[in-house]
Amino acid sequence: MPADEGLLDRIVNWLPTTLGFKRVASWILVPYWAHKTPVKPLPGGPHASFQHGDNVQCMMNLIMPLKVKSPIGRAEAALAIAQNKDAIYAGLNNVGTVHFARFVIVGDNICMFSVYDGDFTNYIRDFIATIGQVFNAVVSLVEGGDDVIPCEENVEAFIQWVHERDLYQVPDTPTDFLRDQEALNGDRAVSPVNDDLTLLPRKLVLQLRANPNVSLGSGYRAYPGYSAAQVRERLGLGW
Amino acid sequence: MNDIADVQGNILRGYRKPYVRYLILEVADPGAARRWLAASVSGHGDGVPQITPYNWGKDKPDTCFNIGLTYEGLRALGTPSASLAMFPNEFIEGMTARALKLGDVGPSAPDNWPKPFDEPKRIHLIATIYADKKQQLDQVQERALAGGALKKLDTREGCSFEDDAVHFGYRDNIMQPRFEGIHDRERHDDGQPRAPLGTVLLGHKTNLEDLMWRVPQPAALGHNGTFNAFRVLKQDVVGFEDYLDQAASDLLKHKQVDDVLAPGAEAKIGEVLKLKGLTRHGALREVVAANLCGRWRDGTPLALSADTPDPKLVKEKFDYTGESRCPYGAHIRRCNPRGGQIVQRVANNSRRLVRRGVPYGPLYVRTQPRDPGKAEPERGLLGNFIGASLGAQFEAMSCDWLNLGLQDPRITESNDPITGSNDPSASWFDLPLKSGNTIRLRGLPRFVSTRGGAYTFLPSLSAIRFLGSLTT
Repeated sequence: MPADEGLLDRIVNWLPTTLGFKRVASWILVPYWAHKTPVKPLPGGPHASFQHGDNVQCMMNLIMPLKVKSPIGRAEAALAIAQNKDAIYAGLNNVGTVHFARFVIVGDNICMFSVYDGDFTNYIRDFIATIGQVFNAVVSLVEGGDDVIPCEENVEAFIQWVHERDLYQVPDTPTDFLRDQEALNGDRAVSPVNDDLTLLPRKLVLQLRANPNVSLGSGYRAYPGYSAAQVRERLGLGW
Repeated sequence: MNDIADVQGNILRGYRKPYVRYLILEVADPGAARRWLAASVSGHGDGVPQITPYNWGKDKPDTCFNIGLTYEGLRALGTPSASLAMFPNEFIEGMTARALKLGDVGPSAPDNWPKPFDEPKRIHLIATIYADKKQQLDQVQERALAGGALKKLDTREGCSFEDDAVHFGYRDNIMQPRFEGIHDRERHDDGQPRAPLGTVLLGHKTNLEDLMWRVPQPAALGHNGTFNAFRVLKQDVVGFEDYLDQAASDLLKHKQVDDVLAPGAEAKIGEVLKLKGLTRHGALREVVAANLCGRWRDGTPLALSADTPDPKLVKEKFDYTGESRCPYGAHIRRCNPRGGQIVQRVANNSRRLVRRGVPYGPLYVRTQPRDPGKAEPERGLLGNFIGASLGAQFEAMSCDWLNLGLQDPRITESNDPITGSNDPSASWFDLPLKSGNTIRLRGLPRFVSTRGGAYTFLPSLSAIRFLGSLTT
């Protein structure tokens, strides 16, 4: 901090750290910024890459708001999963590219988190072909889900619907989200303004307004990426 | 509705005409272009070339003519926005936007594509002329471009070689899917289940149980249509032959070389492949070429005859079940694993494509002396990869199978040895031996690079009439 900082500078620097200012900014300033500088939501899923290691153990973080926002709605969701447990296991086996899959209820959302290999659309399509009825049972409880079920007859729309609910994965180097913004806007030239980290908070705030839920990074691995089948093969489990 | 007569002729049958020219066109005048489309299915053969249908009657036409439309082309023609929105994402985005999925990186990246593919949004319509004689190509082209409805951006032209050979010296045109309900004129039983018609035409049952692809509406537009990935694929023939030399030299020094090529087998290989005086080194070159592809260069599948080619074998009927000696990573096995074990069990037989291709550039004759100071002419393949879902078939095969090797953990993290975006510093390929062991070949360079392409919709004749009748 510069030593010659005056009283006014100190107030300006202190003000944003106060809770009251943050609340006022959230209600007034951020909507005003968003109105003046519209920011598009960034698409979900892993960043496209041709590197082999980036195409195994990919993350899907699906957050789906329930239609019935109450304990009854949450119980219905839990029941839908429980009733289809065997089909889910069979599906995981037949699709062959899944490492882990979890269903989680957070608030009034049913969430599906999974780690899979290969292309996202192939992954979802293979799941539809294998256990489409499970997707139908779960998605029928979710806001906007009726438009895309039965998923077997709405394959393209269903995949798109899932993709839109998959969380944006902020790059491992978080400032790289600026590059994603530029790519989304078709701006291929890197603006020097966007490299100025003093402006990052506003851009980050606006992006997180457009993408309220995000994955921070694309997952941290304790070992290099292997496909589910490679793991099974090397452990002698068959694949 | 199962009216196959409504389907363009190049989808379900090959014309077997030696000369092929692709006209890459832009809509210059939307109204005139719509009238051009209407005229192309009018039955009046003196003006705009007539679209060749599946049923052409008793006599095969002298020339054939078919079209594909890009998303931008459909837009330029005034297709209603509600209909446009029903086309799949991959088609709407176009081939250049899908570069990473297709392995179009490095020298294959769209940024390096020459004209007219450097301006993909201007490519609206790709018309294909098939002819017995080269001069017929000019005649049909002249008729197609008369009137100024369509502006020619550029052309690409190919010519078949004798015996269905393609660059790299393999015999091609051996396999195409056979479809349920379609009379199989020429094809032998290939041992594979007949593909449901929905593999190649919209509006029909697909190979994935209960799954249907979305048909753009109205039905007249989408039904019986399909999609095509048109690709200009440059082949480095000299690089390929040089690699075979190098690999054969390395194998000659390998302690297990007799497991790769039994002593004396070179005589049989030379006899079948018509290579006089084939040396052991020369025979090893052929063994490597056969393993990279999954077929000997005469078309004999390794799955049936791994030690030597055999001209007496039926070249279509085989599978990868049991102890097949076809490498897991061989090109044809990656493209179509048939009934063999794969990781994505639901995907067996679901990513099949109709392939129509013609070589371009002069035939490479290895024995002809080369001038090292002179650049080789460009050679390659003008390929069409046709299926009802680009995403579920062409892209799924390219991304997960050819580029990632996800279908089998023994090849995961390797690229297709022939068409893959290989880097010699990291590439590898396992050559199987009789003993069950493998020899790992390394240092494969990129043999094939993409020099252009476009996703097109191949409309039915009804769809062409529909588009021709639009008024905006």
